[in-house]
Amino acid sequence: MTVRRLLATLAAGAALLALVLGTSKPTGTNIDAVALANDIEHQADHVTAEELGEWIRARKKGLRVIDVRSDSEFAEFHVASAERVALTDLAKLKPAADETIVLYSEGGAHAAQGWVLLRALGHQHVYFLRGGVLDWMEDVMNPVLPERTGIAKTDSLIEQRSALSKYFGGVPRTGAVALPEAGSARALITKTKRRGC
Amino acid sequence: MSAPFFTSGSTGDLAAALVIGIGFGACLERSGLGSARKLMGQFNLTDLTVFKVMFTAIITAMLGAFFLSRIGVLDLSKVYVPETWILPQLVGGVVFGIGFAIAGLCPGTSCVAAATGRGDGFAVVFGMFAGVLATGLALPLFESFFRSTPRGGITLPAILGAPDGVVVFGIVVLALAGFAVAERIERRVIPSEARSAKSRNLHV
Repeated sequence: MTVRRLLATLAAGAALLALVLGTSKPTGTNIDAVALANDIEHQADHVTAEELGEWIRARKKGLRVIDVRSDSEFAEFHVASAERVALTDLAKLKPAADETIVLYSEGGAHAAQGWVLLRALGHQHVYFLRGGVLDWMEDVMNPVLPERTGIAKTDSLIEQRSALSKYFGGVPRTGAVALPEAGSARALITKTKRRGC
Repeated sequence: MSAPFFTSGSTGDLAAALVIGIGFGACLERSGLGSARKLMGQFNLTDLTVFKVMFTAIITAMLGAFFLSRIGVLDLSKVYVPETWILPQLVGGVVFGIGFAIAGLCPGTSCVAAATGRGDGFAVVFGMFAGVLATGLALPLFESFFRSTPRGGITLPAILGAPDGVVVFGIVVLALAGFAVAERIERRVIPSEARSAKSRNLHV
């Protein structure tokens, strides 16, 4: 058998195998359960509202903030710079290797499920916003800050939180504050604030 | 971790392209495709090396991509699929074909010809870059046509609605049948050429 006949036979055999296999997609799952569990254990799976706020304010390179809530919820309010992607469309998201994805939902559960989905699809730099929009409202848009203490370090932290909140058009409060006018953006922020415990 | 390992346009991506390009050029040269005479044999149906080499490259890459993806080494969803614009690419194909027939070299083989010191290779490479430059400068004049009939990154399995494996099988069968026919044509042509050469020698 000449070399060319041998190669032709090999190609034909490989083609037959491809026909039998049908799909080029890998079989089984790509989930590295141990790695995911480690990230969850070490809290490397999420960011806090303040951390996300700092990332957005610092224009972190490659940051994509994704809102997985409904269209109407997104239209009512969304985190600045966020884009809306339905959970069902998350699998179609093809982030570049240098992009950092932060998912958020109302309370965080859906976003956390989206985090598992994207990690299973092989995307590395994925986080979800802990506490979702509710935490964002409470910690960034409408934080209750302690009174100035006179201790430089503590006051500086209070000032930083206040500045971050104001950057996003929030209403940092110190102790009791008057309720905003009905129908205003501030009223919406206050309304969406976490209720109950 | 699965391939591709580099993001588009990164240094690693360009380095990989350089290595693959050198390999491709070396294969073209070893196949004799740096010679315009050899390439013109394709148009005269006397030497079908171009068809055989190019189709071999296609099915080798296709089988490699299929099985590497299947075993999870290559993520095909991250492999760039060039976009299709039907009419501009049809016109481009005709222009390319005319240029190929006139020059006797195509872009890859012209680089190989130039690298091996052939004058016609240098001329075609110069012409190619001059054409690229001229097209780029004149683009505003025909930009609407250039961007017409867009179809995005379409693939044969998507058009045919068939599983990848079926398409792979079909193309390999087509290639092997094509190789058999090509060899037959070459066998039929070569003896007659040899005969005519012999008769020419007798007259000389």
